[in-house]
Amino acid sequence: MFLTLQDNDKRPIYQQITDGIKDLIARGELREGMTLPSVRQVAGDLGVNLNTVAVAYRQLQDEGFVTVRHGAGAVISSRSARPVEQAELYKPLRTALTQLVLSGLTGREIVETVREQLAQLQQKGGTR
Amino acid sequence: MSASNVVGVYIFIICVIVPVLVYALVMQLWNAPLQNGPGYFLGIEVPAGFYEGPGRRWMTGFHGMVVALYGVCGVGLAAIIATRRWEMTPLWAGGFALVFVPAIFGFQAWTRHKLGVNPPVRPVALALESRRMSDYISWPTEALAVALVGLSWWLLLHGGRHFDWRSALLQSWAVLGIIPGKMAMVRVSWPLSAERTEEHFRLQEASRRFWIRLFGIIFQWFFLVVLLGVAVLHGLLPVPPAPVWRWLVPACSIAVWGYGMIVMFCGMSQLKAMGRNLRPSGSWKTPFGRASCFGTGRAFYIWFAIWFGGILAFILYPLCKAWFK
Repeated sequence: MFLTLQDNDKRPIYQQITDGIKDLIARGELREGMTLPSVRQVAGDLGVNLNTVAVAYRQLQDEGFVTVRHGAGAVISSRSARPVEQAELYKPLRTALTQLVLSGLTGREIVETVREQLAQLQQKGGTR
Repeated sequence: MSASNVVGVYIFIICVIVPVLVYALVMQLWNAPLQNGPGYFLGIEVPAGFYEGPGRRWMTGFHGMVVALYGVCGVGLAAIIATRRWEMTPLWAGGFALVFVPAIFGFQAWTRHKLGVNPPVRPVALALESRRMSDYISWPTEALAVALVGLSWWLLLHGGRHFDWRSALLQSWAVLGIIPGKMAMVRVSWPLSAERTEEHFRLQEASRRFWIRLFGIIFQWFFLVVLLGVAVLHGLLPVPPAPVWRWLVPACSIAVWGYGMIVMFCGMSQLKAMGRNLRPSGSWKTPFGRASCFGTGRAFYIWFAIWFGGILAFILYPLCKAWFK
């Protein structure tokens, strides 16, 4: 199972790692109980600082996607994040919708795009 | 051991080493810069038409270095045969390896410095598979190697006779030093290309297992067999030992070395086939890291410098001492 980091991505590295792992969990490729490689291994493989990877793992832990067990490393805990406020959940969706509206897409096109993306996500995951 | 027996053993060693060196030159080394195809020179991406222009000079330089190394080796061998100083055979074989390895590494580093100083940036893939030491290293086997080194020293020290402690120390250093080296080889990694990631990953895994196995055979078990054999001859057998024992130690060590050579040639051909049409790790860099120089990482360089430097020091120290006396 692989996570791809793009060369033209403006997000910080730790955010790319966090989002990439969340994406794999959403698609069902990373399942509950699976172990992630150690911080040292990921940092070595990517050639980045240990702290960068540690921040990504901490964020995943804070959001409830990963449980750090002593001696066992970071283990995927569940497919759903910790309960969050509905407003907080919709905030990134609203930002994305704003971007799409500003880019000149019609409401119909936006709905179509969202449906396509959701279908892709569900197809890759093979669930839900 | 009688003088004629010693000469026989050395001639046997030479007869095994020479064909292997010739095979390595013809089958592996001569066209090594082109192993990734005509778009690369020693794993570094070169522009189209490179081999019609400056590439010719680079190939001539590489071939010149290889010819010089083999030439020195050949002159050394001719000198041994002409002067009949067969006892110089181990020095000749070991000396060639000690000169050859830094020369090849040095040439590759020079190539990187001149041709691949600014490789293109490409997306990188990260494998989310955990690497555990026990998946690559057999700890009971390592424990056995350590125990055999201990047993050899016990036999040498309790043999009650004079022995060459410097050789024994060098062999122990080589055997035990491989263990952290194997650990470094498990740890180190190089970036995976985002294109054909699965194939790159399989190549990386195969390469990691190959080098760990090869170092284990050639440097760990070869030297261990030599050390243990000498210790058994020294500490357990009467003086002079029976003729069968005189041949057994060199025969066993050469058998291990020969097996290592077979593993090396087969493994390298396999890796070459797996890596065909795949972008070599040294030809690109990640958005946040430098390109890999030798397809390995810092932990390996540090270990290799200490381990190889130690071997060099063991060999050079008595020579320097004799020189300055």
